[in-house]
Amino acid sequence: MYLSRKYLTLAWVLVLPALLIRLFTTIYPILETFRVSFYDIKLLRGLHEFVGFRNYIDIFHDSKMLTSIEFTVIFVVGSMIGHLVLGIALALILNMKIRAQKVLRTIVLLPWAMPMVVIAMASKWAFNNDYGLINDFVRWFNPSFSMDWLIHTNTARYAVIAVDLWKDLPFFAILILAGLQFISSDMYEAAKIDGAGPIRSFFRITLPLLSKNIWVLSIFFTMWRITSFDVVYAMTSGGPGESTALIAYRITTEAFTNLNTGYAASIAVVLFIVMALLSGLSMKAAKRVDY
Amino acid sequence: MVSKFSRPLILRGFQWLLAAVVAFLILFPLWWIFISSITPAGELFSKPIRYWPLHPTLDSYKYLIDNVGLMKKIGSTAIIVGVSILVGMVISVMAAFSFARFKSRWLTLAAAFLLASMLIPDIVTARPLYDFLRYVNLYDTYSGLIVLYISGILPFTILILQNYLKDIPVSIEEAASIDGCGFFQSLYYVTLPLLRPALATVCIVNFITCLNNFFTPLFYSNGISVLSTAITQLPLRDNMYAVPWDLVSAMGWIIILPIIIFVAVFQKQIMEGIMAGGVKG
Repeated sequence: MYLSRKYLTLAWVLVLPALLIRLFTTIYPILETFRVSFYDIKLLRGLHEFVGFRNYIDIFHDSKMLTSIEFTVIFVVGSMIGHLVLGIALALILNMKIRAQKVLRTIVLLPWAMPMVVIAMASKWAFNNDYGLINDFVRWFNPSFSMDWLIHTNTARYAVIAVDLWKDLPFFAILILAGLQFISSDMYEAAKIDGAGPIRSFFRITLPLLSKNIWVLSIFFTMWRITSFDVVYAMTSGGPGESTALIAYRITTEAFTNLNTGYAASIAVVLFIVMALLSGLSMKAAKRVDY
Repeated sequence: MVSKFSRPLILRGFQWLLAAVVAFLILFPLWWIFISSITPAGELFSKPIRYWPLHPTLDSYKYLIDNVGLMKKIGSTAIIVGVSILVGMVISVMAAFSFARFKSRWLTLAAAFLLASMLIPDIVTARPLYDFLRYVNLYDTYSGLIVLYISGILPFTILILQNYLKDIPVSIEEAASIDGCGFFQSLYYVTLPLLRPALATVCIVNFITCLNNFFTPLFYSNGISVLSTAITQLPLRDNMYAVPWDLVSAMGWIIILPIIIFVAVFQKQIMEGIMAGGVKG
């Protein structure tokens, strides 16, 4: 009944607001980012000049940028390994048949539901040597422990990854849990009769059946990690030095603090292309994952 | 004497232990934030930390209300989040209905475009969008922020509603039209009530998404301050460290407490929403 011409106009009227909003808040700005990336714009000096690919070449000679790329890779890989190992473990814990199951799931939803800024601001204090939660906790077991986490490059990096895991790992686990619930218990029964122990049936049934689910989730979580910004913004401000400045943080610093918008745009474009390639390739690979 | 039932008992004990560890790791930091918020500022510098304060006080909260303008920030957060969810929902229902009911090649393309635009990260569009907002005088205005908040929830909301609408048979609307219902009447009286569970789920998830939105208010507003950005701009009070922990913890708890209650009440819908769309908070 909705196929007539008259209704087609109506159809477009109905989608128009949504289309317009998305057009102006995502498509227009991203095209503009592409355009601007070929210009040298220094707002402070009123400079606006076409420079071709120079901004792109500069990225790979900028030591701050190289540090950012290095840390972003460490952050993404480190955090994703954590997500995979601990996330699957947590999903299994959430799937246990105990009476506290529902309460436990509610608790695990909490970190997802909270703003990252709040967690990151609290973490800034939690990792304080003298009065922070983390060291206080460690001192329950080792009273003489002392460590100023956010002052040293490596420990600051671990801390950022740990906070990211605390916040997002539960969400990852819940999404895996969704897949876990689709595995019929008959499979495990059958495996049990055939003499497989719990560990064996985990590796032979659970993991293979979840593999596609996990793969697709990992793609999304990797993309979110690559554009992570607020952890570092609130927790370390990219410090010590520039050692925890994720690429996304670098972009905002160049764009809004240094007012180097052309250069910022070229970094953004590279980031976007890397993400598009990475997600495209892994989506393709996801189709190959069996089961 | 490893009898038949001692092993399940050990297993069950182990399961409870695991559950307790998980609960501890999540709840303990939240408890610490709460305790810090009611500890007098000076006593925060104690080693080891007292997880049960000697002199509980609401001083930090009072300071937030008197000197930081907490009530105003709560007000602007409520306005922005409330209007965004409401208007966003109307726009989404319209679009989702159109996508689910009308068939045309261009319309399918438009739907695909909406979904694909979800993949464009905020960070890539930030600076041009900022310049654009200044240009059209929407920077640091409620309307500007609301449009951006709505933009953030549109793709997910439309996706979920569209899938749900496809499962509602068109024949119900046709029957209504035979009975003399006009187009909008049938949408309002017949389709919307059937859509209610999906609307509730989407609303709940969007509430959390909007409340947690940090990027938008940080870059596209200055004078209008919402809770998520306000926590990064608190003043230092007699504290030599870079973190005004007394105020941060109080502000943090003001944000966290409603979320805890909200999650506890709507656990079921949130789970459904998350699993249906794989939402990012």
